[in-house]
Amino acid sequence: MSAFKRLRQSWSGTDHELRVLSASGQLGFGIPQESFVRGLKRKPHVIAADMGSVDPGPVYLGSGKIAAPETLVRSDLRLVLRAALALDVPLLIGSAGTAGANAHLDRVLDILREIAREDALSFQLGVLRSEVPKGDVGAALTGGRLRPIGALDLDADGLSQTGAIVGQAGMEPFRRALEGGADVIVAGRACDTAPFAVVPAMLGYPIGPAIHMSKILECTSLCCDPGGRDAMLATLQGDGFILESMNLARAATPVSVAAHALYEQADPFVIHEPEGAVHLDAAQYVAVDDRRVKVTGARWQPAKQPSVKIEGSRRLGARAVLLAGVADPGFIAASADILRDVEDVVRGLLAQQDWTLHARRYGIDGVTDWADMPDPLPREVFLLCECVAPDADTAKLVLAALRQQLLHFGFEGRRATGGNLAFPITPAELDAGDAYAFSVYHILEIDSWSALSTLFPVSIETIGDHT
Amino acid sequence: MDPLKDVARVIRSKNAGPTKLTLDVLFDNEAGFRRGVAALDANEVARAFGRDIGAVTVTAYLPAFALKIVMDRPQVAGAPGDRDIYGAQQHGPLLDVMV
Repeated sequence: MSAFKRLRQSWSGTDHELRVLSASGQLGFGIPQESFVRGLKRKPHVIAADMGSVDPGPVYLGSGKIAAPETLVRSDLRLVLRAALALDVPLLIGSAGTAGANAHLDRVLDILREIAREDALSFQLGVLRSEVPKGDVGAALTGGRLRPIGALDLDADGLSQTGAIVGQAGMEPFRRALEGGADVIVAGRACDTAPFAVVPAMLGYPIGPAIHMSKILECTSLCCDPGGRDAMLATLQGDGFILESMNLARAATPVSVAAHALYEQADPFVIHEPEGAVHLDAAQYVAVDDRRVKVTGARWQPAKQPSVKIEGSRRLGARAVLLAGVADPGFIAASADILRDVEDVVRGLLAQQDWTLHARRYGIDGVTDWADMPDPLPREVFLLCECVAPDADTAKLVLAALRQQLLHFGFEGRRATGGNLAFPITPAELDAGDAYAFSVYHILEIDSWSALSTLFPVSIETIGDHT
Repeated sequence: MDPLKDVARVIRSKNAGPTKLTLDVLFDNEAGFRRGVAALDANEVARAFGRDIGAVTVTAYLPAFALKIVMDRPQVAGAPGDRDIYGAQQHGPLLDVMV
């Protein structure tokens, strides 16, 4: 019998405390040990962790690469796997390998199987896949069942250039994996909340608070004052839950927890999930003591029809960057005009025109596209020029031509005729790998609840000599 | 009137997905929060960021003494020319808004 089924069999109702331990805000970047061990001593009934995000940009989804260093992925996975098996509790991991497409998921599964073999561990592994067939997305596009989130236009061309498309799985496929006997679930792209919320929901705890808890818990101790990455424990009981950091130096306060409800959310009052929405307008945050907060009042509204947030990225070409500094006040003052003029010169020099150039002037507008120039002007400015072209050679060719023209460009009032640029390194043009852009970030409306199940296939695999 | 950076405890920015930028302004108490609500409307925020007023929404959230600002990102995160893929350093234009 699986860890979950034993838990469910022994469970006597929602008056009992159900403890959920969040091991890591992003599995694969190192788990602070002391806090995690303190969390294990509290005998959690579930261990869960989020492993991915759309935040690191389109390159990971497009290329199949994992943002986290593999050494840390391995040590984090080993830590949570051994802990869950030792306590005989379910382990749920969402958004495997940053972007949660099959390439990421399969790499994480390989590492997990290697760990199990090396450490002679046995368990039932539930695998939840999140890639959405492109045909489904195309049909939704023509059928008007695809809504962009923000300003992102998608047409048939853009869709055909898109690589793997992933959907954010909600609780339903996790539920299927647990019913299928999984002890450990590793999911492709998933809602941050689902791995944390599904066991409470299956044991009968109200879904609104379970998801609200998960939304806060998935970032571990970021909801505390001071915030951090240490393991966080939530204790569900009745219609609410209590939050507590496993680092004694971090306090969950009513204001710090309420403030976290805002984090990375466009709407502080609603959390959208594939199966419904959680409304937080009546949420209450009350101090239990100086380190713990009790939260109640989240309200679940089931959707009439399921919908899934989907993500896709397409390759644009190869990227190269030029790095150079400037200290001449005349150049700095005229830098916008100079960069524009020099790009025109380079366009005139080269036969090939299918490239784009973007300059960032650190000290002026490298980070933020300010409406005005700084006053006074900075003493030094760093230039990062980014070129995207069909191939790496072209991207570097463009930047080499640009570099030479910039170096010797004769602008009005120029005094430093030895050269306009200070190179920290040569070659000053560097390969920056393939360039990608998000082409899909949409809500996919699903016809029926059974179609939602089809979208996220689940398989169960025996690891080790499981009996 | 004081600059926002002297009144608010937290002024932060972050992506809310790759197409939107969200900024949270957190105050220590209700008095600070009320000053923020009075001064930071969509018009003032749009002016500080050089954006159209229609591109900006501001929501007051009393339980956290917080204001939430949401706007479309000028570029989708990670596209060529993007300056800040996580959107974590876009709070600058808010710091000196007078409240």
